[in-house]
Amino acid sequence: MKLFVKIFLWFLAAIALMVGVIIFVTRTFQTAPMESRWQRSTRNQMLIYGGTATQIASAEGEAGLRTYLARLRDVEPPREVGLASADGAIWFGSENVIADSKDLIARTVASNNAETDLSTDERSLGAAPVTFPDGRKLVIVVQWDRPAPQALFWGSQAGYLRLAGLLLTAVLVCFALAKYLTSPIGKLRTATQKLADGDLSSRVVPMVGRRRDELADLARDFDVMAERIETLVISQRRLNSDISHELRSPLARMNVALELAKQKSNKDTQPMLERIENESNRLNEMISRLLILAKLETDSEVVEPVRVDLAEIVNQVAEDADFEAQAKGRSVTVSAKEHCTVMGSENLLRSAIENVLRNAVRYTAEGTVVDVSLAANNGHAVLQVSDHGGGVPDDELKNLFRPFYRVGEDRTRKTGGIGLGLAIAERAILAHKGTISARNTDHGLLVEIRLDKDALSNS
Amino acid sequence: MDKILIIDDDEELCELVSEYLGVEGFEVESVNDGETGLTRALSGDYDMVILDVMLPKMNGFDVLRNLREESQLPVIMLTARGDDMERIVGLEIGADDYLPKPFNPRELAARLRAILRRATADETDVTDDDKLSVDGVEVVASARTATCDGNDLNLTSVEFELLADLLREAGKIVKKEDLSERVLGRSLSPFDRSLDMHISNVRKKLGPRADGTERIKTIRSVGYIYTVV
Repeated sequence: MKLFVKIFLWFLAAIALMVGVIIFVTRTFQTAPMESRWQRSTRNQMLIYGGTATQIASAEGEAGLRTYLARLRDVEPPREVGLASADGAIWFGSENVIADSKDLIARTVASNNAETDLSTDERSLGAAPVTFPDGRKLVIVVQWDRPAPQALFWGSQAGYLRLAGLLLTAVLVCFALAKYLTSPIGKLRTATQKLADGDLSSRVVPMVGRRRDELADLARDFDVMAERIETLVISQRRLNSDISHELRSPLARMNVALELAKQKSNKDTQPMLERIENESNRLNEMISRLLILAKLETDSEVVEPVRVDLAEIVNQVAEDADFEAQAKGRSVTVSAKEHCTVMGSENLLRSAIENVLRNAVRYTAEGTVVDVSLAANNGHAVLQVSDHGGGVPDDELKNLFRPFYRVGEDRTRKTGGIGLGLAIAERAILAHKGTISARNTDHGLLVEIRLDKDALSNS
Repeated sequence: MDKILIIDDDEELCELVSEYLGVEGFEVESVNDGETGLTRALSGDYDMVILDVMLPKMNGFDVLRNLREESQLPVIMLTARGDDMERIVGLEIGADDYLPKPFNPRELAARLRAILRRATADETDVTDDDKLSVDGVEVVASARTATCDGNDLNLTSVEFELLADLLREAGKIVKKEDLSERVLGRSLSPFDRSLDMHISNVRKKLGPRADGTERIKTIRSVGYIYTVV
């Protein structure tokens, strides 16, 4: 799971848990004091009712008391009122009120004080003694609907609003927090990938902004590292091109001097001079291939990819290779060709195909054919080049693309290769985010290049 | 004797090349930086320039670019071996040919001769087909001018030769092999795209017809054709 989602969910879970704990604690530990407060106020209320009833009975008589009790019943909050004697005879009020409070009446009579019964959740009962002028002892009973303990988050509009508000705030805060924590990591990752892809100027600090924490430190450290790598690679690249340039100059002078020497040579020295010329040509070729390779390894990205007609390149290169092969008694045929275009650099792709093809021409047996086929396959272009050269041992296949790698004795320098062609082809294909592989067929080696048709279309 | 100017910062190489080309019958002078090279090339004293890409003060491409603003003096560029970009850029700016460095001096002499033969041949043969005109494009061989609807095309000598060759055979396919022999003075070698580069330059300078079609069409693996409407 993404770090962002993880942090987000963890914080959200933490907040949800906290809210849950608060609700639980409130409900469990706050009910007792609330109960006793309710009990106290009920008792006080009942004492007042009892005292008032006694006074009204003595001042205004039974009729007055009835009016009072009726009025008492009608005020808010809704309630039932009853007046009964100690033995349960009803003087006022409905029967079920009195019936429900037999125990309470008995207790009140016994204590001659206000009593309450809060044993049920729905209602509460209160009772107080009332004394008539004639000395009769009665008990006033009042039954309230008990106010439900207010739920924090449900049961009412305000509760739902509170819940929604809390959730929304939690989500927003968690989102912001997760974003704040993970966004520099994302940027660091993008920069690292860019660096790995060869963009050595990739830096993070300008993207991270004015943070001052461990992540900002990491970003700064990354930049220091990138800086160092950039310096190293650039100096390496400069060294490579300097070396080759410096090597080229004496070689160029040697070539001209050699030619002058040949003009003045005699029969005896001529073969030696020819030999020197051959070796010098070989050096030339090596330097140029090394330069191409060095270039591909450092600039591993295709600049400004364009749509390239692969079929067209295959045709042209195959034709040229055939021309070259005919001179050596071999040939190149294009056995299958589908129309294929890929995004990339025409020069690099041409160079890759050319290197693979010339390699095949070099190793195929005399009088045989190098077969080229190009197929479009599910958004991939697949180019296969197979020769009749007997192939290579299976365990050497993966090494074919290593610079200067040569397979055993049968692929010796006599073939004229310098061991860089396939390495160049591989770098060029990798720069197109494609793959190149080699395998043995029953008659020789088959090199396959696969290119994603649109691999570079967004870059 | 043909006077050649070498612009290369390698003094020893210049000396050796001067000696070699001297034996081959050229008169050679050399300069070692771009700025002086450009001034000398523009002096009009030379028949041809051999130009290195890496030069102090002003690189070879800039020298060529500045030179081409005023002169169509034939130029052979010495490009870094293995660097396709240098070759392509050189031909695009208007070099007549290129030679990867280190080069074989025999090859250099052969190319110099090919280009010079072409340049002098044109001056001498003023024949009936001196003037060629096909739908608005006109080449005058004696004056070495090419115009399209009256506008000067500013072709280099190779480009001029290519266009003239194609116009002479307008409507017919001209084989790549023949073009290479006649214009570049060497047989067509595989994997060498300089002919295509030159043709693409000519195409760019000519521009398409009013209806958007290209004047010069590529006949794949055979050659080119100047289409006639």
